[in-house]
Amino acid sequence: MRVLRYVGKRLIFIVPQLFGIILVSFFLVKLIPGDPAVLMLGPFATEEQLEKLRAGMGLQGTVLDQFWIYLTNLVQGDLGTSWQTTQPVLLDLFQRFPATLELITLALLLALVIGIPLGVAAAYFKRSIIKKFSDYYGLLAGALPDFWLGLVLIFFFYTMLDWVPAPLGRLDIALIPPPTVTNFLLIDSVIAGDWQALWSALGRLILPVVTLGVINAGPILKMTQSTMERMLESDFIRYAETCGLPRSVVIRRALRNSLPSIVTIISVLYGFLIGGAVLVEIVFSWGGAGQYAVQGVLNADINPVLGFVLFSAIFSLVIYLIVDLIYFAIDPRIRS
Amino acid sequence: MQSANEPALDPGEAGALGASAAGRRWTRLKFQLRFLLAVLRARPMFALGYFIVLTIIILGVFAPLIAPYPPETANPEDFLQLPSGRHLLGTDATGMDIFTRIIYAPRIDLTIAIAGTVISAVVGSLIGALVGYYQEMRGIRAFFAGFVMRAADVLQAFPVFVFAIALVAIFGQSLQSIIAAIAFVNTPIYLRLMRSQVLAIRNMRYVEASYVSGASDVAIMLRHIIPNSLGPILSQLSVNIGWSVLLTAALSFVGAGVVAPTPEWGSMIAVGFQSIITGQWWPSVFPGIALAVTVFGFALVGASVEVLADPSRRRALGGTLRQKPSGAA
Repeated sequence: MRVLRYVGKRLIFIVPQLFGIILVSFFLVKLIPGDPAVLMLGPFATEEQLEKLRAGMGLQGTVLDQFWIYLTNLVQGDLGTSWQTTQPVLLDLFQRFPATLELITLALLLALVIGIPLGVAAAYFKRSIIKKFSDYYGLLAGALPDFWLGLVLIFFFYTMLDWVPAPLGRLDIALIPPPTVTNFLLIDSVIAGDWQALWSALGRLILPVVTLGVINAGPILKMTQSTMERMLESDFIRYAETCGLPRSVVIRRALRNSLPSIVTIISVLYGFLIGGAVLVEIVFSWGGAGQYAVQGVLNADINPVLGFVLFSAIFSLVIYLIVDLIYFAIDPRIRS
Repeated sequence: MQSANEPALDPGEAGALGASAAGRRWTRLKFQLRFLLAVLRARPMFALGYFIVLTIIILGVFAPLIAPYPPETANPEDFLQLPSGRHLLGTDATGMDIFTRIIYAPRIDLTIAIAGTVISAVVGSLIGALVGYYQEMRGIRAFFAGFVMRAADVLQAFPVFVFAIALVAIFGQSLQSIIAAIAFVNTPIYLRLMRSQVLAIRNMRYVEASYVSGASDVAIMLRHIIPNSLGPILSQLSVNIGWSVLLTAALSFVGAGVVAPTPEWGSMIAVGFQSIITGQWWPSVFPGIALAVTVFGFALVGASVEVLADPSRRRALGGTLRQKPSGAA
């Protein structure tokens, strides 16, 4: 019951939060110089044609008028059209957002697989080589530029060894993509039973996932390590140790109590990566959501940028909500 | 903690100055220097950090004297040369010497990163101090404090990179606008950091005592609150400079930052991107290493400041030093 009330309260706050984000991003993006009408029709268009196009795009009148038009369209589920792809932004985002999500979800899973065991080991064996290694790993992972690491991996595993396919998108161009259901290629190809497409998609995922996973394991490792260190020095773990419990039980208990802060860092990373993976997307020609937004900013294409900001804000808010629910599940102190 | 390789400080020199003020200063400086050296010996990684940062700065400053070639002159005859005696790190697709461009790059990368970060630190800390100080009071100032925090929430909800590109696009592509963009995206970090510091410090006894004895808000802030909260800010500053170097390079990599012929690590990596598929790795790999080493160096300096600025941790470090002078931590 408490949980439901809590979720309800959070959901009420989401609307004003989203409104604030749309408001700020609209006026911010409006400040970007460049007239899409001129860019679309070219330098030889007459003023009449330009006016007509602007009216069609909701670009006439004052900025406030335009904001009102955008909002009324938004309520009806219309995010406008991108003049670069000439498609509705909503449609574009439904294609691109899953591409990014597929990439960053797998990357985060890899980061967890690297970060948590290493962090636990480094916290438990304080004077060991593992501790030294994880200290260096944390510092180095924060210092490596992800787009550069992606390039280096491409050089080794594509140019030199030819183990992975060319870094050109999510699927082999020669293959017919499986029928669209979710736009997550892995899921769609499994639904269609298209193993060739699945294999190709997996092969193309390896390098970008490794790039992002290796780098984002850094913060997870650091957080796990510092929380576990604190837990292992706490009274209840001392008590468990003096009681003579086996090492594995002690570690499990400490880890169980470190979970809230680990979950927090994961959620922060998840929200960050929606836009933060953009450089890796560019390197691997991924066609993801971040890339779409960056192209929009660079070409005075307003609607994709606003749509992206809106989508990623909603995504982050949903993630934070889920995280709060997870807190309820793993921390008995909040429940009572 | 006396050992053979003590800093070359002549005790006689200090003695000759006698008990004058200058002499006392000298003795204190000597003590501090010795302490610093001892810390560096106990934590060699800190020394490595300072070494990296100093080296990069020196290379950047003296680049015109060190560099064997002009940084922006294309030489099509020498395109994509392998690293050799003539071109230490090879040449890129237009025949420019990569070593030359790498040591010229800190001039622009560090200028942008340091300027942007320092501006955001000053602005963010000042606002953060005000917000933290007035937040728990009543009236219009507390209302504004709440408003500033909500505004920071909204700003931080934006994806950093897209936000930075949008800012550069708004201000027009120039050095100043990249600095402004970096200052803008970093400000909320300092705002929050300073606010949490101030919230903790303002309820301390000495602040209350000063308030009771009639000190004004401004005096309390300048005399007590800001000096006592500087440690974490300074540590964050160094880490943040490294991070801003990365952001600058990333902006240039997508073409929204420093423009091509100007030597800059990110744009060098972008230029080399095309060659890497065909097997010429050096135009991209070397600038990336320079970039990573720089960020690494600033992160280490940040870690050292974090320890040195915290009196209890500094004392703890000093304690271990006295027991085992040559111990490696």
